[in-house]
Amino acid sequence: MYLFLCIVSFISVFPLYWMVSASTNKSAEVISGRLIPGTYFIENLKNLLTTQNIGRALGNSFKYSIILTVVSLVVCSLAGYGFEIYHDKGKDTVMSIILLAMMVPFVATMIPLFQMVSKAGWLNTTIGFILPTISTPFLIMMFRQSARSFPHDIMEAARIDGLSELRIFFQMFMPTMRSTYAAAMTITFMNAWNSYLWPKVIMTDATSQTMPMVVANLTEGYVTDYGMLMLAVLICTLPTAIVFFCLQNAFAEGITGAVK
Amino acid sequence: MKRKILAALLASTMILSLVGCGGNGGAASTDDGAAATTDEAAPAADDAAAPAADDAAAPAAEGEETLTVWCWDPAFNLNAMYEAEKVYQKDHPNFKLNVVETPWDDIQTKVTTAATSGDLSTLPDIFLMQDNAFQKNVISFPDVCADLTNSGIDFSQFAAGKTAYSVIDGKNYGVPFDNGAVVACYRTDYLEQAGLTVDDFTDITFDQYLENGKKVLEATGKPLISMQAGECDLIMMMMQSAGASLFNEDGTANIVGNDTLKVVMETYKKLKDEGVLVEVNSWDEYVGSIVSGDVAGTINGCWIMASIQTAEDQSGNWAITNMPSLVGVSGATNYSNNGGSSWAVTTNCKDQALAADFLASTFAGSTELYDNILPSGALATWAPAGDSDAYGAPSDFFGGDAVSAKIVDFSTKVPSNITGVYYYEARNAVATAITNYINGADIDAEMQTAADTVNFNMGQ
Repeated sequence: MYLFLCIVSFISVFPLYWMVSASTNKSAEVISGRLIPGTYFIENLKNLLTTQNIGRALGNSFKYSIILTVVSLVVCSLAGYGFEIYHDKGKDTVMSIILLAMMVPFVATMIPLFQMVSKAGWLNTTIGFILPTISTPFLIMMFRQSARSFPHDIMEAARIDGLSELRIFFQMFMPTMRSTYAAAMTITFMNAWNSYLWPKVIMTDATSQTMPMVVANLTEGYVTDYGMLMLAVLICTLPTAIVFFCLQNAFAEGITGAVK
Repeated sequence: MKRKILAALLASTMILSLVGCGGNGGAASTDDGAAATTDEAAPAADDAAAPAADDAAAPAAEGEETLTVWCWDPAFNLNAMYEAEKVYQKDHPNFKLNVVETPWDDIQTKVTTAATSGDLSTLPDIFLMQDNAFQKNVISFPDVCADLTNSGIDFSQFAAGKTAYSVIDGKNYGVPFDNGAVVACYRTDYLEQAGLTVDDFTDITFDQYLENGKKVLEATGKPLISMQAGECDLIMMMMQSAGASLFNEDGTANIVGNDTLKVVMETYKKLKDEGVLVEVNSWDEYVGSIVSGDVAGTINGCWIMASIQTAEDQSGNWAITNMPSLVGVSGATNYSNNGGSSWAVTTNCKDQALAADFLASTFAGSTELYDNILPSGALATWAPAGDSDAYGAPSDFFGGDAVSAKIVDFSTKVPSNITGVYYYEARNAVATAITNYINGADIDAEMQTAADTVNFNMGQ
C-alpha cells in the first residue's frame, strides 16, 4: 500500500522537481536530460530579465487576478446565497438555466464577447479581462450548496433581534462560510492567473501582457532556451502554489461543504 | 416588502462592484501607458500603445511616424525589426516602431478573431506570418492583408519559390523574410569513422543516402537522421524538392494518384525499416537527439542550424550540404524549403504607403540590414544580400565553410509548390497515413483515407 502511494506521489512530484532543477541548468543540459540541479540559475534569471519584462507581467497578472477574485467572490456568493435562502420555483428555473450555461464552451462565446468588449473600448483594460468571468455558474452553485447547510434557525433569531438581511449576509453568512470562500478563492485565483485564451485575444498591447503570455512568448522561435523557460514557468507557478498551500486546509473543508 | 428591498440592495451592490472595478481598470491602464481607456472614443486607437493615438490624429504628418508590428522571436525576427528600424531611421528620423512580441499561434488567433468579428481595428500595421499559413489567411480573410503588388517593392529580387507563398491570384501580399531553405547537416567525425566525407552526401539521391546511411550505422551505431513521429516535415520537404504539392492549382486535393507522394512515402518507410532513420516522440527529443550526438545528422530548414550550434563542444564537427533527391520522379532536385515567414501589411494600417516604403527600403532593399542580422541566424531570401562580404565569411562551427552564401544559393533553386487553404489539414492527414503505412497498412488505402479526410475538411 505504502509502496503504491510512494510511487504515485513520486510521479506527481517529479515534474515539479524537474522544473526546479531545469531552471538551474543550461538549455543544452536540459535537452540532454540532466536531472541534477546545476549552477546556471543566476545566468538564466539574467537572460529572462533582459528578454522579457517579467516585473510588468507579474504586476499585470496580480492586478487582474486579485481584482477578479475579490469581485467574483462577492458577486457569486451573493447570488448563491440569494438562490438558496430566498428560493422559489422561478429562481430554481433561473438556476437551472445558469447551470446549463456551464455546458457552453468559452470558444463559442469568444467572438461575440470580443465584439462587445472591443465596441465598449475595453481592450487592454482590467474590466475587459474580468467581465466575462466575474460570475461563473460553478461558483454560484458552490455557494448555493454551502448556503444549504447554513442553519435557518440562526437567521430567524437574527431577524427577531432586528438584524437586516444584508447584515445577516455580511456578518453571519460570510464568517461562517470562511472555508467555502477559501476554496472559491483558490479556484478563482488559479483560473484567473492561468487564463490564457481570453487575455491573448483582448490584450493586444505589450504593456498589458500577463505571465502565461510571457511564458508562451518564450516557447516561440527557432531556438528555445529551456533553462530560461523553466525558470519563467517556475516564477509563474509560485503564486498559485503559495495561495494553495496557505489555504490548503480550508480548501479541503470548503470543497466538502463543511460548516464551522 | 423587505425581500424586495434586499433584492434592490443586492442588485445595487453588484452594479457598484462592477462600476468600482471599471474605474479601477481605466485608471490602471492609464498607469501602464496604454492608449485604451474606458472612453467611448477609444476603439479606433485601441490596437496600440500611446504612440498609435498620435498616429491616428496625424497619420502622414511630418511629426512622428509610428508603425506597430507583431512578431515572435526576440533573438530572431524581433531583433531583425529593431535593426530595420535603425536602418530606416537614417533617412526618416521621426520614424518609430512599436514591436509587440506575439507568438505565432496567438497572431493566428487574433487575426481569426478580428476577421471573424469584423473588427479589424485591433490588428497592427505589420505582422509576420508563417509562409505555410499565408494563402490560407489571405483566401479565408480577404479583408485582412493589403495588396502590395504596386507598392514600390521589387519582388523580382526574391527567390521565386519564396514569394510564391504570399502570391494569391497574381497579387503579392507579403514581403519575404527569413530563409527556410533545406540543408542536410552531418557530423563529419561520424562520417569519417565510416570512411565517408560530406562530399559523398552532396548532390546524391535518396538511394545513395540509404546506402551511405547503412555504412554509418554499421561503423558508429548511429542513425543518419531522427524525425518526430506523427509529423511530416521530412515528407513535405521531399515533396517540395520535386515541386510536388498535396493540392492542385484549382484547390482540390491531390493525394490519390499522386505518384510523387507515393515514392516519398515508400522512401521514408525504407529509411525507417533499415534503421537509417529513427523516429522520436517530440520536438524537444528531436533537437536533443541532434545535439547529444545520438544521430549523425539531420535534414531540415536552415534555421535548425541555430539549435545545432548550441552544442558548442561539437564545433568543427559539423558540415552542411544539399539534401538528397527523390528517385524515379520527374522534376526531382536537391533543394527544398521548410518553414520561413513573410511580413504582411494589414488593411488596418493607417499609413500603408509608409509601411510599404519601410519594407521596400529595409527587407527588400538593404544589404546593410541583412549583414546586421546575419549573426542572429536570419538568412535572407533577397538575392543581393547573398553577394555581400558578410555572407561569404567562413563559419568555424561548420568546418570553415561559407554556409550563409551556400544557403542563399540553395534558396534560389527551390521549386515552388501550392499550399492552399487546407495545407495544415492535408499535412495532418498525410502524417496519419505515413504512420499507418509504416506500421504495415496498405499504402493505396491509406492515401485514399487521407484524401477522404482532406475532402471532408474542405466540405466536399
